[in-house]
Amino acid sequence: MSFGDTGERRRASDGPLLISGLIDEETVRSIAQEAWSALVGECEFLVPQPGELPADPVSAWVEVVGPWTGAVVLTCGRSTAEQLSRELLKEHAPSVLDDEDIEDGLGELANVVGGNVKAVLPGPSVLGLPEVGTAPQARADTVRADLLWRGQSLTISVQGSAGALTDPHENHENEVPL
Amino acid sequence: MTLTATSFDWVRALVHKESAIVLQPGKEYLVEARLLPIAREKGLGDVSQFVENVRHRPDADSTRRIVEALTTNETSWFRDGDPFTALTSTVVPSLLAARGPNERLQIWSAACSSGQEPYTIAMLLEDALPDATRRVSITATDLSRAMVERTRAGRFSQLEINRGLPAPMLVRHFTRVGSEWEVSAPLRRIVTAKQCNLAAPLPRMGPFDVVYLRNVLIYFDLPTKQAILRGVRALMRPDGWLFLGAAETTLGVDDSWERVAVGRSSAYRPLKGK
Amino acid sequence: MIDDSKVMRRIVAGILEDLGYEVQQAGHGREGLDVLDGGWVPELVCVDWNMPVMDGLQFVSAVRSNPAWRQVTIMMITSESEHCQIVRALAAGAHEYVIKPFTADAIRDKLALLGLLPQGVVL
Repeated sequence: MSFGDTGERRRASDGPLLISGLIDEETVRSIAQEAWSALVGECEFLVPQPGELPADPVSAWVEVVGPWTGAVVLTCGRSTAEQLSRELLKEHAPSVLDDEDIEDGLGELANVVGGNVKAVLPGPSVLGLPEVGTAPQARADTVRADLLWRGQSLTISVQGSAGALTDPHENHENEVPL
Repeated sequence: MTLTATSFDWVRALVHKESAIVLQPGKEYLVEARLLPIAREKGLGDVSQFVENVRHRPDADSTRRIVEALTTNETSWFRDGDPFTALTSTVVPSLLAARGPNERLQIWSAACSSGQEPYTIAMLLEDALPDATRRVSITATDLSRAMVERTRAGRFSQLEINRGLPAPMLVRHFTRVGSEWEVSAPLRRIVTAKQCNLAAPLPRMGPFDVVYLRNVLIYFDLPTKQAILRGVRALMRPDGWLFLGAAETTLGVDDSWERVAVGRSSAYRPLKGK
Repeated sequence: MIDDSKVMRRIVAGILEDLGYEVQQAGHGREGLDVLDGGWVPELVCVDWNMPVMDGLQFVSAVRSNPAWRQVTIMMITSESEHCQIVRALAAGAHEYVIKPFTADAIRDKLALLGLLPQGVVL
């Protein structure tokens, strides 16, 4: 897929851009794999296999605002996130990693994956700063890669925001304003 | 089993002796990661065992592979710099002066791998000459069909284009295609990629004005090195230029070349009457 | 080394320190300018793009518009990877651009291009 500003202009009647038409699971995985090989370790592999997220998952995400608007969300167990930050820091990792370091590491991985996902989508788009916590709810417009890193579950979700950039001429008479 | 201090020190000394590279303490994890595939290939469970075996009974193949595994990762652009900048500063101006206005300069990248070398050359010439597509052709060959295909496609991953490619050249000569970067169409037209086994009789090609034969002779024994250099020479113009890898030389291999300084590196030119 | 991620700052600082550099860190463009204003003018600044308070592009423009800092080489290190973003960065005056994710080799290669790599490559 090749995007960037092609000069193509959309019409209001075209309807919203759906992420499933813009990127696929394998592309998301391969973007993440490049990040893992470079930053986590040469021999670190993301296996495209669903696993089970533990009870205390943590998410880091970045927003993408543009012709397609949504978020790129990384979710894994807290212990997985700790291991990731430890691997990112290599010989500079302290013996005990605090929450700030763990969230920073996962947030930076979200930034790296998110920035590269954004570049595959139609532009121009703006990338938000990483946020960490309980991820925004994924809705229908989602492409999700379920991965295993060192046998631990890690999901990467590229999810559209509901109600973003709607056609102003659409009939809203049955909607309840917030 | 983690690498012992003795093994690590031995590897550091070896790498330093064979290349300009200094492995710092604390990089044991890097040695383990890079040598593990080789150790496994040899049926050994861990790197320490492999290194100890080689340390006690060194063999050329293992020591070469250890050095390579630690000194090269992905192929980079403008590898070692000078042999490429020498093209535009010295080699091409002198060739253009010696050739007729309608003669095409022919360049051979003789171990092109995924294509960084021939496209490095193409970019330099495209930037330096107003009509590069008309004045230059680059033949890129490799033993591997897969590499030939990669070179033909001219597509590279983000990690690959990060390696030694100046950002201004990236934006001038590449476009993004999905999550990859593709060399521009004019550059892909200058480069013709084909398969070639250097150790076998060479196909009829050239005659070449410039040959890049970098970091490939090291894979061969002396008689084969000599045969390859003879074969390459036969495909070159008598006033042509040959570039070898940074640590390579024809000295002690083939005395029919004259070594010439170009910038901070060297080129080899066929000696008259030899 | 300017980046809002402490982890990323540590990674790049580590690579530069291995090469013999002394490294100062800042969390965004404004903090980076404060370091320069304080009189500590480095040979090289590595700067991220997306940061709070002042982003990398604004930082680049600010540095390049100050004649006192003309000698400073600026390399952006960012996950912004569209062709047009790199063009914008170079147009604003960045000398080099590294796309995240990067390896230590990639940073070293760029420093070699900039003539900022000490002799004897270090791993």
